[in-house]
Amino acid sequence: MVKLMTPEVRPTTANSAGTFTVSVAPKEGSDAAHQVVASPVIEARDVTICYGGTLAVRSVSLRIPERQVTAIIGPSGCGKSTLLRAINRMNDFIPSMSITGSLLFNGTDVYGAKTDPVELRSRIGMVFQKPNPFPKSIFRNVAWGAKINGYRGHIEELVEKSLRQAALWGEVKDKLHDSAYALSGGQQQRLCIARAIALSPEVLLMDEPCSALDPIATAKIEDLIDQLKSRFTVVLVTHNMQQAARVSDRTAFMYMGELIEYDATDLIFTKPKQQRTQDYITGRFG
Amino acid sequence: MTAHFVHLLDELRRKSLRMASLVEDVLQEACEAVFDHDDALARRVVARDEDVDNEEVEVETEVIRLLALYQPVGSDLRLLCTVLKVNNDLERIADCAVNIAERASHLDHEFAKTQESDIRGLATAVRQILRQAIQAYATEDEDQAKSVLVKDDAVDALYGQFVRAVIPQTVEAPESVAQFLDVLSVAKNLERIADHATNIAEDVVFLASGKIVRHVATEDIVPTRPPADA
Repeated sequence: MVKLMTPEVRPTTANSAGTFTVSVAPKEGSDAAHQVVASPVIEARDVTICYGGTLAVRSVSLRIPERQVTAIIGPSGCGKSTLLRAINRMNDFIPSMSITGSLLFNGTDVYGAKTDPVELRSRIGMVFQKPNPFPKSIFRNVAWGAKINGYRGHIEELVEKSLRQAALWGEVKDKLHDSAYALSGGQQQRLCIARAIALSPEVLLMDEPCSALDPIATAKIEDLIDQLKSRFTVVLVTHNMQQAARVSDRTAFMYMGELIEYDATDLIFTKPKQQRTQDYITGRFG
Repeated sequence: MTAHFVHLLDELRRKSLRMASLVEDVLQEACEAVFDHDDALARRVVARDEDVDNEEVEVETEVIRLLALYQPVGSDLRLLCTVLKVNNDLERIADCAVNIAERASHLDHEFAKTQESDIRGLATAVRQILRQAIQAYATEDEDQAKSVLVKDDAVDALYGQFVRAVIPQTVEAPESVAQFLDVLSVAKNLERIADHATNIAEDVVFLASGKIVRHVATEDIVPTRPPADA
């Protein structure tokens, strides 16, 4: 869940670190996904993560480009969720967790002494496997975070804008003050996305956001991810390889804590370079 | 499910190779029908085209079924795409063989003997190229597939040479124009078969490497050409 305690909500396109200029989102069918990531929003350099004595992520280095969807795939226990949650320091809540190497967000060390993890999580939002709306109305689910972060604009406009961006407005506009729990699972997940984007984060981390949803709700979330990437950088962990193939521009394959291959999604799913990737995507693993 | 899918892919591959073998046989019989002036064999080639058509539909149906049910990726996806494309080329090769066999029935035997040596040379080269393409397909051998691409250039040259030789003869013997057209048709269909074999070889390169080389100059695919007899 995203902690909502920053003093103000930044515009969607702002680059708070100011380390590089905002680039134009790649057009559909462009070669952007095939290019080397020169100016990553997120960069892992030799990141190793342990839980006590258990090695979960082993010397991973990868560069996640701005305003593209990057999928992380791999079998259960390969470290993909651990790596994802490390990006906005969600693993800090696990006492035995230790991390070495560097994780950079816009060039700033995520685990640096000057980084406020709460502020970081408002800039790197997260959507979880199971929809987790607050026990409040639909309206307050979206408005609450912005309010406690000191948002001084027109809150109704922000709620509407966020719900529209989450492709949910049309379905809830006449029942904004109903309980969020009255929504279907798919609607609740889109509400959680609306809640996250109300804070105008730069990055959205999604940890298997469709695994609890039916195919229709899944298709809506996938369409939404496709729309969101024009405004946000999306990092998606999924067990569903077809979903990774459908929605992502780049795909990282992890196995036993290691990053085996990271490339443009169409290359990963048509001509992977590594035999282990080939074995995994074709289901011949183990 | 995965083991089952792998088994289904193996079955499909076998089915496609069986069809390839059938098409090779049909071509051989079509050529024999021409050289041996064997009308019965020519009719048999025409009749066997129905078997090829049935196999083509069967293979295509299975490819579509596997794509729909298993949504393959990586090398499995490349294999299914390749089988589908090779399937189409094999069916077209059988059609060309039928065209050749149909010419066999029309050819004046005495006239055909005057052109036999050149047509035999072309037929041998084309059958070799098809054999090699099918072998490359069966073994997913990228290098062998690339050597087919080089040999197609030689077949094109043989065909061009044959046509250039025939044209002045038609001027000298205008009363035999119809016969010349039959012979030219046989040569043209052989040349088309070599093109289809080349398509198969290009598909094998895709199957093995994921590279689409269809519209790439042979020199860029095979920078160092092997010796002519390779």
